Amino acid sequence: MSLEPRIAAYVAERMPHARGVTVDSLGRISGGASRETYRFRLSWTEGGQARERKMILRRDPPASLIDTERRIEFEAYRAFHGSAVPVPEMLWLEEGDGPLDHPFFIAEEIAGFQAGPGLLWAEPYLGTHQRLAERKWSILGEIAKADVTALGLDKVMEPIAPADCWTRELGYWEAVLDDDEAEPLPIIRAAIRWLRANPPPPPAKVGVVHGDYRTGNFLYDTDGEIHGVLDWEMAHLGDPLEDLGWSLNPVWSFGRDLAGGLVPQADAVAIWERASGLTADPAALHWWTLFNCVKGQAIWVSSARAFIDGGNKEPIMVYPPWALQNAQDRATLKVMGRL
Amino acid sequence: MKPDVPHVLGEMAQLLVRNTDPAIQPADRASALGLSAALLGFAAQAWDGMAHHLVQENRRVRVLLGETGADEDLRITALSAENARLRAALIAHHAQVEGKDSAAEEAIWAELKLSTEWRAVAGSPV
Repeated sequence: MSLEPRIAAYVAERMPHARGVTVDSLGRISGGASRETYRFRLSWTEGGQARERKMILRRDPPASLIDTERRIEFEAYRAFHGSAVPVPEMLWLEEGDGPLDHPFFIAEEIAGFQAGPGLLWAEPYLGTHQRLAERKWSILGEIAKADVTALGLDKVMEPIAPADCWTRELGYWEAVLDDDEAEPLPIIRAAIRWLRANPPPPPAKVGVVHGDYRTGNFLYDTDGEIHGVLDWEMAHLGDPLEDLGWSLNPVWSFGRDLAGGLVPQADAVAIWERASGLTADPAALHWWTLFNCVKGQAIWVSSARAFIDGGNKEPIMVYPPWALQNAQDRATLKVMGRL
Repeated sequence: MKPDVPHVLGEMAQLLVRNTDPAIQPADRASALGLSAALLGFAAQAWDGMAHHLVQENRRVRVLLGETGADEDLRITALSAENARLRAALIAHHAQVEGKDSAAEEAIWAELKLSTEWRAVAGSPV
């Protein structure tokens, strides 16, 4: 049976007042190596009124680029909905394989905006970079500033002591590299030795870390406004500088030698400091930026591994390692002052 | 380049055949073919110079490690396997000289920088 009637049957059970629930205009959204993403239109009748809503389905693939807990992703979205951090509304989370073969969640679609970074380097977006950067790092500052307990995320995300933030993250991603690398990585191994020899200070606060906050993971418009922060699948509690460091990873400069391809790094950091009320200690930020080069490489290597082992033979699994593995090595050299 | 180019090309051939099925949704077909085109571009860039660069790099790394020898089997799989052996040894050597032998350390960093230059793909972000 095709996907449309199965989605409709699932949703109909969860909307007891709806009649004649149907799904159409189902289409897969390109990209997304960690989840399969589809958009569709849901139509139904309620109280005699015909209704419809655009929605997004995010379903686990057979083997993913990264192993993540979809409940944490779902709850992170839900926690920030309606706050200064714009996110789509989450509707239903299904953790079983029965309804659609793999776990999934359904959310509202924030329609009419762009996410792909490629469009930003041409008109009509060239004049929006300053405004977009202001919004991008202000929102990241809001995420850093957020009260974990008030959001209820302390109940779904693993707790961490400030002093343990860096060891847990570095240990996790180093283990991913140990398990998944298909060839030796001398630059990344040198970076890991440096990171272990030069640990950062504990953060002033443990906060929510989005985990993949970069140009390309938010919905933007032609005015430089951001309408939705996406891809929370690596969200966790940790040092807020981790997110800032990921946003400054040179692979996200898109060859423009600017933070996120948008503004000089110092400007991005200043915006973040203003919005978060936190200080980005330069040495600590350098540590987290280099750490994120290691993390990035671990993700690209994992993608290659999923393809090599046969867990997922889709071309999207090959694109990240082929396009970014060497770039990530060069980014690492750059952050270490070796390029 | 991992996954290996022949492995990827083999899978892409099957993918192209699957996409001749008219029942495939246009959005899925567009996504698969667009990505396949990008991957073919990467493979094309790597094809001509791969063996040459691996031989050159293996030669340089042997010097850094104080090893002798040469590549006899010029198949890319054999050259890559030798390259992996040498680069694993280079990691151990690098860790050993770090903070103790600055000349050896600088020579390794120079080699590591060089190793990223021939592997760079067109349009690389860094």
